[in-house]
Amino acid sequence: MSELRFEGVSVRYGNRRRGMTAVDRVDLTVPDGAVVGLVGESGSGKSTMARAAVGLTPLSAGRILLDGQPLRHTSGPRPVQMVFQDPYSSLDPRMTIGDSVAEAVPRGMRSADRRQEVARLLELVELDPARAGAYPGQLSGGQRQRVALARALAARPQVVVADEITSALDVSIQGTVLNLVRRLQRELGTSMLFISHDLAVVRYVASEIAVMYLGRIVEHGPAAQVLGDPQHPYTRDLLAAVPGWGSAGPATAPPGVAAAEPADPHAPPPGCRYHPRCPIGPLARDDREVCRTTEPTTDHRHATACHFAAAEPLLQVTGRPA
Amino acid sequence: MTSTTGVHPATGAGRRGAGVLDGPWARFAVRRGGQLVVSMWVLVTASFLMIHLIPGDPVRSALGPTAPASLVAARRESLGLDDPLWLQYLHFLGGLFSGDLGTSLTSRLPVSQVISQRLPATVQLALLAFVVALALAVPLGVLMGVLTRGGRRRGGELAFSSTSVVLGAIPEFLLGVGLVYLFGVQWGLLPVAGRGGPESYVLPVLSLSLGPAAALARIMRVEMVSVLQADYLRTARAKRLPRRRIYLRDALPNALTSTITLGGLLLTALVAGTVLVENVFAWPGLGSTIASSILLKDYPVVQGIVLVYGAGVLLVNLTVDVVLALLDPRSAIRES
Amino acid sequence: MTTSTTLDASAVAPRRSAARARWLAVLRTPVGAGAGLLLALVLLLALVAPLLWSGEADRIDTSDVLQGASAEHWVGTDALGRDVFARVLVATRLSIGLALAATSIAVVLGLLLGCAPLLLGRRGGRLVTAGVNIAVAFPGLLLALFFAVVFGVGMTGAVLAIGFAGAPAFARLSQTLAAGIADRDFVSAARIAGVGRFRVLVRHVLPNIGEPLVVNATIGAGGALLAFAGLSFLGLGVQAPSYDWGRLLQDGLSGIYIHPVAALAPGVAIVVAGLAFNLFGEAVAKGIGLTTALGGGFAPGRALRREETRRRAAAADQTPPATDPGPEPGRPVLDVQDLSVTFPGAAGPVRPVRGVSFRIGRGEAVGVVGESGSGKSLTALAIARLVEQPGEVTAGRLRFQGADLLSGGDRTHRRLLGTSFAMVFQDPMTSFNPTRRIGRQLAEVAQEHQGMSRRAALARAVDRLRSVRVPAAERRAHQYPHEFSGGMRQRAMIGMGLMGEPSLIVADEPTTALDVTVQRQVLDLLAAVRAEDDVALLLISHDVAVVGQVCERVLVMYAGRVVEDLPADRLRTGARHPYTRALVAAVPDMDVDLDQPLPVIPGRPVDPAHQPPGCAYAPRCPLASARCTDEDPALADDGTGWRVACWHAGEVAADRDVPGAAPVALALGERA
Repeated sequence: MSELRFEGVSVRYGNRRRGMTAVDRVDLTVPDGAVVGLVGESGSGKSTMARAAVGLTPLSAGRILLDGQPLRHTSGPRPVQMVFQDPYSSLDPRMTIGDSVAEAVPRGMRSADRRQEVARLLELVELDPARAGAYPGQLSGGQRQRVALARALAARPQVVVADEITSALDVSIQGTVLNLVRRLQRELGTSMLFISHDLAVVRYVASEIAVMYLGRIVEHGPAAQVLGDPQHPYTRDLLAAVPGWGSAGPATAPPGVAAAEPADPHAPPPGCRYHPRCPIGPLARDDREVCRTTEPTTDHRHATACHFAAAEPLLQVTGRPA
Repeated sequence: MTSTTGVHPATGAGRRGAGVLDGPWARFAVRRGGQLVVSMWVLVTASFLMIHLIPGDPVRSALGPTAPASLVAARRESLGLDDPLWLQYLHFLGGLFSGDLGTSLTSRLPVSQVISQRLPATVQLALLAFVVALALAVPLGVLMGVLTRGGRRRGGELAFSSTSVVLGAIPEFLLGVGLVYLFGVQWGLLPVAGRGGPESYVLPVLSLSLGPAAALARIMRVEMVSVLQADYLRTARAKRLPRRRIYLRDALPNALTSTITLGGLLLTALVAGTVLVENVFAWPGLGSTIASSILLKDYPVVQGIVLVYGAGVLLVNLTVDVVLALLDPRSAIRES
Repeated sequence: MTTSTTLDASAVAPRRSAARARWLAVLRTPVGAGAGLLLALVLLLALVAPLLWSGEADRIDTSDVLQGASAEHWVGTDALGRDVFARVLVATRLSIGLALAATSIAVVLGLLLGCAPLLLGRRGGRLVTAGVNIAVAFPGLLLALFFAVVFGVGMTGAVLAIGFAGAPAFARLSQTLAAGIADRDFVSAARIAGVGRFRVLVRHVLPNIGEPLVVNATIGAGGALLAFAGLSFLGLGVQAPSYDWGRLLQDGLSGIYIHPVAALAPGVAIVVAGLAFNLFGEAVAKGIGLTTALGGGFAPGRALRREETRRRAAAADQTPPATDPGPEPGRPVLDVQDLSVTFPGAAGPVRPVRGVSFRIGRGEAVGVVGESGSGKSLTALAIARLVEQPGEVTAGRLRFQGADLLSGGDRTHRRLLGTSFAMVFQDPMTSFNPTRRIGRQLAEVAQEHQGMSRRAALARAVDRLRSVRVPAAERRAHQYPHEFSGGMRQRAMIGMGLMGEPSLIVADEPTTALDVTVQRQVLDLLAAVRAEDDVALLLISHDVAVVGQVCERVLVMYAGRVVEDLPADRLRTGARHPYTRALVAAVPDMDVDLDQPLPVIPGRPVDPAHQPPGCAYAPRCPLASARCTDEDPALADDGTGWRVACWHAGEVAADRDVPGAAPVALALGERA
């Protein structure tokens, strides 16, 4: 049983005067054996969540619990492991892939056993164990990403964090990595936090989806519900923006919203953070001043942080059955 | 239309005016000023400690082993060397603020007087060398950058690079010796020592500036070539502007910022280079004084001149940063 | 276990040989070879000169004082009648030895200071960094003088002084290098894997910064040599009766009028030795830099290159099969026939775009899709006449609004292209000049091509910014690019294209760097611009869905060729080329079946430097037959404007027995 739980986690960068809160009082649970997909645009704080979970970024508030115990980063492989976005930077170019994987195998193992373990892991990620002596430079991006997965698994993690692991890959290769992630997750039952900006990718691997906007989680629920019956207007906008095969009509948002710029994470707007871009917020409806002043709670159907989540009929999300 | 154009300059000027008073410029000034104060303090403290770091008794080693003990003791007392260290430090700082840098051990003249006599010659030499180095390096580097962009004219690139590497690798004092030999000994065209009429400046300035000029021109070419490959240069070409305009308006300022960033060290090295060049040409500046003072163990003079040189270097660095901030709107903010 | 040990051994070999090959490659360049030889000579001299010529160098002959060059004394004698040439040779050891000693001190101290931040943690590290930053601002000579005072005049003092003076520069260098490595993900991964700080430093950081450090130490040794000569010249270094080159120079300078060679000889020695270190370091740096900078497809290993030279040169010469440009849609805005782009490679020309033909009608939106390396962006640049040397563009026809872009130079079409042809580039972060205000960058188009005054041009720029929905356009025109968000910059870029009256917008991956919601806004904007002025659009994207949504017609590119040209609404279900079908199927969309594995395309995209003969897609294609690997299919029109280049166009994989084709791809064929 391994459940990863973020409790009121905040992460601030920079100093007091010119800093930014990348993650702001976030609660999120990755249940045992589940894959939670975390989506959001750049600057939303997704990657900071990942780095916080593995202890690369210190928390400024809150705590992260693994099976109810606060995470401690003592010596030895950490119980939460991570796969990084860029396969060209996540493997040491001067180390064989076998050595890279072996580095994460828990210590106190005879070297023969260690080698066997490396071979087993490479096989697990569908790489020929005979290539253990290869250097990253000799591998394609997709193959490197599989090595990175093998290294994460070598540490016998209880939770794996995958941060945009396919976004640096060509579409033709992306599928192989996604298929592998799904197969491994089903076989090993690892809990996983799967971060991506691509809703279609997240939909393919995740059982639950959390949507992040400017350091806050605005909606969280089972994947089918969040995608099929999105409650938060931001989730709906995200879904509507995914290029699809259906004829996407021109945006129906009010003009002020259509041209709105993404908010600056250094100076998040007061109240509901989405209100300057919200198609059902104060820009569209004069009576919704509350959005400008009060931050919504998540006491709604599948945890949506919006004052008017339930009140608004769904925007037409054409051609996208759940 | 008219209303928009009418409003424009006003808002532009207003914005600019406000920008100087607060925002990035003020932050830049505060940060850079703070940096200067800290560096200055380190410099002052280091030059104060210099005497105390010397193993043994500096006065004894300055006066020589034959000097009577009473003289050493008297001299030590007059220098205040028997006071506790912190008190000496306070005296030193106090002296600095009132312009008192102590007294020369050999000539018994106030150090401040020695410096003020010698400083103008050095400043003149360094400034002239600056100007010559920049005037040679920038146009040459830009021209070579344009001519050799994207791997064109490999032969020309090789010739330019090897010439500039060789020239840049010859230290200024050797260059000085070579120039003395050619212009003074062989051809007898120019004076080889002392500071007199304008012709006496030619060789010292050249030997001080040619090396940095070669190195700077080389950097300038490389930066120009890399800027010419930048995405925004492609954008400029997509606008179908005349080539010359693209080179001067789009490429030059950007290449200049990175050249100055990298070349700043060369310019400070040029300041220090005066020490050697002045010795070659018997130039009556600080540089020739510091070398002889070190040999004579005249520590107060050495201390004073080290301070002046250090301050000169800090000044050059400050100038470079200000120029960078002016050229590149991001640099004032980027550093934070 | 035997297997894995042999594996390890075989794995180490290629790497070691790769490193060796790299150094050997440096020695093979003329500069590298010359500098290497010179350096070897200098080091050899340092070893043997004192053994051979000490006697001659120290022999005092008062009857033969201050003589000029003669057969007996090549560069004459000094004030005590000693042979200057022998003295210069003998001084090599001391000069080089002292320089190397000082460099070692500088490197060791610098490395300690530079790596300290990694070991000390945040606060201590910051303190060390600040100290180094202050020290490094002072030039080495000044620091050397300072330390020379502290350590005392003489040889030991000078070694210490130059070593200490060089340390800050090395500290800064190793700090920068180490910080660059420590930022990389593999170091984070190692930390997560439980590797301690010290082990990270030893296993990951040091090996990766070793090479540049060695190179810089070599250059640094040259610098130390010169600095030493400088100190000795000032009388602060080596003291008589010992002598190094600087000392000899100082002795010689005093007699330069009587006996100039005696001053010049040690000077030449200093310069030559300094250059040997310098040039060798530079040559190695350049050699290493080049291999890392080029990488990828255009710079395969040297040995490989030579073997394949002939074969590939032949392949590049091979003319691609005829391509049908498709029916003429009225008077086309753009008419391209057999467009090719060639780059000189180390082993003969490389041709990333090979015979592309298509037309775009007035107001038409055409998309170009393909994997990275398919040549789609280069095609766009070639059409825009923006391919710079050494790239070479050839075409049977390249007409824009009836004007022949192939004829005439840069100037001929400047006005036409400047006003009617708009480009939008991929990365909005780097496509604007960072040092100039956005408004000015737009305005100069009108100033140049429409002869507007500065003021009128700026007003037009503000108007155009407004038209692309940049809020507060007036204020924003006065801002610099870094004050714009990515989406806003891309709007401004489109606005720049609208300064004239464009009839074609070529957009190269305009939304790849943007978030989906912003991507949607930019695509909507492009659609609005098109609708308003009947502007044609050539949209290049790797995203099949984006192209399918925005465009009317789609060109699918593979390995530098158009393999299919089809209506966008048939892209999803009606594609005839197996590559098009595979590409469409590989993109997960919101309707993909969650119970099935995602279809993938087996194999890797073609490296432009290694084009196979025949159809480039054949090695990955489930339909491939013998004909496919022999003969490249022509891009043929079916009469309706639908063009396909495939011997098996429209066939379904299931009813063919293809050995070696991946089952997933077969399944995909069935799906389509």
